[in-house]
Amino acid sequence: MAIIADAVNTAIIGKGLMIAGGFIGPGIGIGLIGGNYLQAVGRNPEAAKFLGQALIFVAIVELFGLLAFASIFIVK
Amino acid sequence: MNGPVVHVAPAGLFHIGGYTITNSILYGWLATAFIVWLLVRTARRVTVKPRGGFVQIVEVGVDFITNLVENSFEDKKVGRKYVPYFVTLFFFILFNNWLGLLPFVGEPFQGGGHPLLRPFTGDLNGTLAIGVVTMLLVYGASIRESGGPIKYLKHFFIGNPLNPLYFVIGLLEIFTDLTRVLSLSLRLFLNITIGEIVIAVFAYLGHIAAPLTALPFTLLEILVAALQAYIFTILTTMYLAIAVNHATTDHAGSDLTDEGVPETIGVQTAGSGAINQIRS
Repeated sequence: MAIIADAVNTAIIGKGLMIAGGFIGPGIGIGLIGGNYLQAVGRNPEAAKFLGQALIFVAIVELFGLLAFASIFIVK
Repeated sequence: MNGPVVHVAPAGLFHIGGYTITNSILYGWLATAFIVWLLVRTARRVTVKPRGGFVQIVEVGVDFITNLVENSFEDKKVGRKYVPYFVTLFFFILFNNWLGLLPFVGEPFQGGGHPLLRPFTGDLNGTLAIGVVTMLLVYGASIRESGGPIKYLKHFFIGNPLNPLYFVIGLLEIFTDLTRVLSLSLRLFLNITIGEIVIAVFAYLGHIAAPLTALPFTLLEILVAALQAYIFTILTTMYLAIAVNHATTDHAGSDLTDEGVPETIGVQTAGSGAINQIRS
């Protein structure tokens, strides 16, 4: 392992994996929220007033992606 | 290593009486002075008959937040008390986010090797201060509406706290409540800082055509800034409304016996309360 660590910059690989893993979850989550919101509006147009609630959940999900992005500055 | 210059932490500019004045607090003071001047000037020009222009836009924003806060509470009179704080919070965060996007904020103005100005909300110290003050208000208001700290703490336990299961669940609820300060401030800080970084990266990639490549992301950030101000306001309103509504309405644990076992699971009629009264 030491030889690999000398030859390859493992920090960059780690950062890449962090970004990949950290962004896929919130991506799926926000997609599900948006898709289900549009489906609800399609079925019942009066549900359009719940956009605010949908945005709250987008913000809650988004935080984890942002934490992953912020974590790459810690890796040296 | 080449790349765009990004800053996550604020830089100290000078010292006043042992306190370091950073670039973000300096811009925060400037922005606050601007916001106070702008909104006081706008408030003086409000008329009964709409005149249009900037006054109208501010009025729509105030009305929007007022309705939002009032409708979150079961009793509108209770909600009315907290409207001024949340409207102030919304406009403070909104204008600080937008003023941070101005082109002269950041790298172009250098003083002593550091950027001279930096968005106030793009600094964890600033957003943590906003979050702590807001959550202190939420806790204070919840305790006051519940009628005492002990009664407020009881709301976290769905049943009898002596029951080990409900005790652990209640402790978890309290812990979740305490992480809200961190999640609120981190969300705002990371959104604004990452927006700055994305703009810096695309300005770097654009080289000569930097304004052209950075423009779409600046427009996106205008939307994100408004969204974050809205989300911060509505989340704190929700935290307050949940605690206050819980306090003003009947206790959820009223249809539980002393052993903490629900008597009538899923049935919440007026009858169950009457049965409890007869038994006690």
